[in-house]
Amino acid sequence: MKIPCRLLAAALVSLCLVAPARAHITPPVVLVSDRDAVVSLLAGARRFFVREVRLTAAEKQAIRQQTGWTPEDDFYRFYIGRDDQGRVVAATVFLTEFTIHGPVRVAVALGPDGKVKGATVVELTEETYPWVKPLLDRNFTREYVGRDARGTFAVSAGGGESMAQFYGQVVASLIQRAAALYETGVIKRGDAA
Amino acid sequence: MMNGWQLSRLPLSAKVFCTLFLVGIGCGALAAFVQASTAVGLSPTAVEASLAREMPMTQMQMHHGQMSGEKEITLGEISSAAKVWIRTPLLIQTSHTHLFGQTLIAGLLGLIFLFASVRESIKTLIVALPFVGTLLDIGGMWLTRFVSPSLSVLVIAGGTLFALGYALITVIALYDLWLRKERLA
Repeated sequence: MKIPCRLLAAALVSLCLVAPARAHITPPVVLVSDRDAVVSLLAGARRFFVREVRLTAAEKQAIRQQTGWTPEDDFYRFYIGRDDQGRVVAATVFLTEFTIHGPVRVAVALGPDGKVKGATVVELTEETYPWVKPLLDRNFTREYVGRDARGTFAVSAGGGESMAQFYGQVVASLIQRAAALYETGVIKRGDAA
Repeated sequence: MMNGWQLSRLPLSAKVFCTLFLVGIGCGALAAFVQASTAVGLSPTAVEASLAREMPMTQMQMHHGQMSGEKEITLGEISSAAKVWIRTPLLIQTSHTHLFGQTLIAGLLGLIFLFASVRESIKTLIVALPFVGTLLDIGGMWLTRFVSPSLSVLVIAGGTLFALGYALITVIALYDLWLRKERLA
């Protein structure tokens, strides 16, 4: 079959338009960038540090017993904010739970005493966003401020919406995990100062 | 032509069906283009940034057995882009949905193209492009994550092959469906 030149040109134009289109990924909804989350959660800090921690098997076991969750990442990264005198203002860690509807990622700020200072949902998915939005609108993560890893991290979505309840609990559990990680991987090692 | 069947000889309803299917897939590809550009980016570097494993920022990078490390950073070193970072569980989800979806699309495109009036060798080559592109695309994601970040180029190459296959199949099929003149015996 002989293909006319105009048709070949049209094929090439179509190719240019759609060529990279297959590099696609179903996109989660990113509510805030990592940098903005760190700046917001470490308010008052003048200098910023990264502390990366690999957990021992015993530390992983301790966290599992405390939270029911087993840390599996190769290492965990804490962004640490210090004041002008070098004292720790707070540390922020990002944790993700992979649900059937995609990832839910939370940034959690912890004080040097291991207590929650704040938390921000930084990423979820188009599907979960409508369920979580009512909780975000009422800034429900404030309820966990001041609690440490041994605290209660339950959520009340206000009744009626079971998916909101479910995802609220996912976020609450991530906050508790962050507190347990900081306590085990930083405070108990004597690295919180 | 396959067993005497040709796109140009299809009844009007079948021609409309094939045309709308091809147009619909084209629209989907354009939507995917926009989605990819906003969520991940369209360069190998952008794909690498979204897919490659996270590396330590501290001296732990050099000393794998080290249990902790700390260093001072500037805020500029923290990502300010609201870009998707694809971790392994999301990669699994993406792989299973897209391998099924893209293979089905490639199969339906190929099914239409089997009835195009093209030389068998060319038909074989073109019909394979979307399938090979799909495997390169998804396989490239895994290789980028677990073998080498530089293999992100395979994701772009896979997408390009899929698109090339789609474009060739669509142009040739539409030509056959609506413009090809029947040769009288």
